Amino acid sequence: MRWASLAVAAALLLYPWLVAGTDSAAFLQDMGALVLLAAIGASAWNIIGGYAGQISVGHAMFFGVGAYLPLIVYTQWQLPPLAGVPLGIAVSLVLALVVGVPTFRLVGHYFSMATIAVAELVRIVMGNWDFVGAAIGIMGPATPRGWWDLIFRSAVPYYYIFLVVLAVLLAVTWQMQRSRLGYYLRALRAGERAARSLGVPVRRYKLYALMLSATFTSLAGSLYALKTGFIDPDSGFGILVSVQMIITAALGGAGTLFGPLIGAVILVPLQTATNTWFGGGGSGLTYIIYGGIIVLIARFEPGGLVELWHRLAALRLQRRGAKRHAA
Amino acid sequence: MLLEAQNVVKAFGSFKAVAGADLAVAEGEIVGLIGPNGAGKSTFFNCIAGDLRPTGGRILFDGSDVTDAPPEKHARLGIGRTFQVPATFEDMTILENVMVGAFLRHPGRGEARDRALHVVEMTGLKEQAHLRARSLGTPGRKRLEIARVLASRPRLMLLDEALAGLTPAEIQRAMDLVREIHGLGITLVIVEHIMEVILTLARRVLVFNQGHIIASGSPRDVVNDPAVIEAYLGRGHGRKAQ
Repeated sequence: MRWASLAVAAALLLYPWLVAGTDSAAFLQDMGALVLLAAIGASAWNIIGGYAGQISVGHAMFFGVGAYLPLIVYTQWQLPPLAGVPLGIAVSLVLALVVGVPTFRLVGHYFSMATIAVAELVRIVMGNWDFVGAAIGIMGPATPRGWWDLIFRSAVPYYYIFLVVLAVLLAVTWQMQRSRLGYYLRALRAGERAARSLGVPVRRYKLYALMLSATFTSLAGSLYALKTGFIDPDSGFGILVSVQMIITAALGGAGTLFGPLIGAVILVPLQTATNTWFGGGGSGLTYIIYGGIIVLIARFEPGGLVELWHRLAALRLQRRGAKRHAA
Repeated sequence: MLLEAQNVVKAFGSFKAVAGADLAVAEGEIVGLIGPNGAGKSTFFNCIAGDLRPTGGRILFDGSDVTDAPPEKHARLGIGRTFQVPATFEDMTILENVMVGAFLRHPGRGEARDRALHVVEMTGLKEQAHLRARSLGTPGRKRLEIARVLASRPRLMLLDEALAGLTPAEIQRAMDLVREIHGLGITLVIVEHIMEVILTLARRVLVFNQGHIIASGSPRDVVNDPAVIEAYLGRGHGRKAQ
C-alpha cells in the first residue's frame, strides 16, 4: 500500500514530463491540470457533502465567487488577479454563514434546497449586473504584466500550482479526519440524534465544515479563472458546476480522502473524450453521462469506487483465509 | 439530589403523554422506570435526556436547570443515554464510535483513543474494536451504545431498554456490566420491560401508567401493588391481588 501511494505520488509529480514526448503533449498536460482542478473542487465539496453528509447542490456559489473576484479586481482596479483570491474566500465565508446559520437549525433537506436557491439567485444577479460584465462575463489580462498575473502559455505551471493546492487540501482533510472535527462530522452524518446525545454541537460543527469547504471551493474557482482568464455566470455559478463536484466525489467515494481524486481521474478524461468525439453537437451528452453515473452509483455502489475496492479487498482476504484453512 | 424532575408535563396537542411526573434521583442510586406500553415512560425519559422539551415543569441536574437545554448540553453536564433502537454510527468502527463519546472530555486524539481502548476492553468489545458497527448484532450494538456513553465519563446514565431483545445468557452478561458501571460511581436510571432486570438491579422503581407515576418504592413492594397489577393485567386482577 505504501509503495502504491508512492507510485501514485510519483506519477502525479512526473505526469507533465511523462506525456511531454507524445504528439498530444499540450492537450494531455492541459487535461492533467483540469483533472487536478476537478479534484480540488470535489475534495472541497467532500468536506461538507461527504464527511458531514450535508448535500450542497449549490456549491457553485462559492466557486463562482472565487472565480469572479480575481477578475473583478483586475478589470475594475487593474490589480493582479491574485489579489482577488483572499477576497473571494472572504465573500464565500460570508455566503456560507448566510446559508448555513438559518438552514442548519432545521432538520431535513432545507440545506440542499437553500444552497440551490442561493446559487441560482447569485447566478441571476451576476447575469444582470453590468459591473461584473452581466451575461457576457469578464476577462483577465490578455498578456502578463509580470509573474504575479500568473498567466502562462503552457498548462504545466498551472498543473503544478493545482497540484500544490490539492496536496494542501488533502493534507488539511487528512488532518481533519483524524481530529475531533472529523469524528464529529462522520458521527453527525450517521445520526444527528445520537451525536447530540454524546455532546456533539451539531449545528456548530456543520458550520465549521461548510466554512472550510467554502474556502477551498472558492480557491478552486479562483484557480479556474486564473487559468482560463475568463468567467461568465454559467461557467461560474451554473448548476452543472455543483453537479460535477458532487458526481466526481460520489463516483470515487464521498467521505473518503482520495475518492474525489479518483473520481476526477475518471470523469474529466471521459468528459474531454465525449467533447472531442461528438464536438459541440454532443454537449448534451455530458448530462446523460452524469445522469447515468448517478443512477449506477445510487443503485450499485453508494460508497463509490473506494468502498468497492475495500469490499473486494475484504473478499480476497476472506477467500485467502478460507483456502489456507482448507489446506 | 443529582436529578430532580418536578411536575414534568409533555403534551402533544391535547394529548398529555406525561401528565405531571416527579422524580428525584440521588447520586449513586439505580432507579428503574417501568410501565405498560404507551404509559409515557419513554417520553418522560426523552425529556430528562433533553431530546424532548417539556411542556411544563422543571428538570434540575446537580442544581442546574436543564429543562430547555439541548441534548448536547445534557451530555456536557454529565447525562449520558442509550436508545431503545440502537443508534450506532454504522460506517465507523467500534473503536471510532467509542472515540466520539471519549472526545467530549478528551479533545486530543491520543487521549480519546486511550480512553476508548480502555472502555472497549471493559465492555468486552476489544476483539471487534476494528470492525464496523454495522457488523454487530443487536446485543453488540446495545453494548456499543453503553461503551460510547461510558467513554464520555457521565455522572448519570439513562438506559432505555438496553437489555431488550437479548438472550438470557446475554442478559446476565449485560447485568454484570451494569453492575460494574454502577461500581464506578455512576448513577443509573433504567427503563426496562424485563422484570428480572429491574428486580435484580434497581433499588427503587417508579411505575408509569397513562402519563402518571402510579407507584414507587422498592421492587418487591411495587410488583405487589394492586394499582401496578391492574395497570399491567387489567382491572379485575388488581382487585384480586387486594
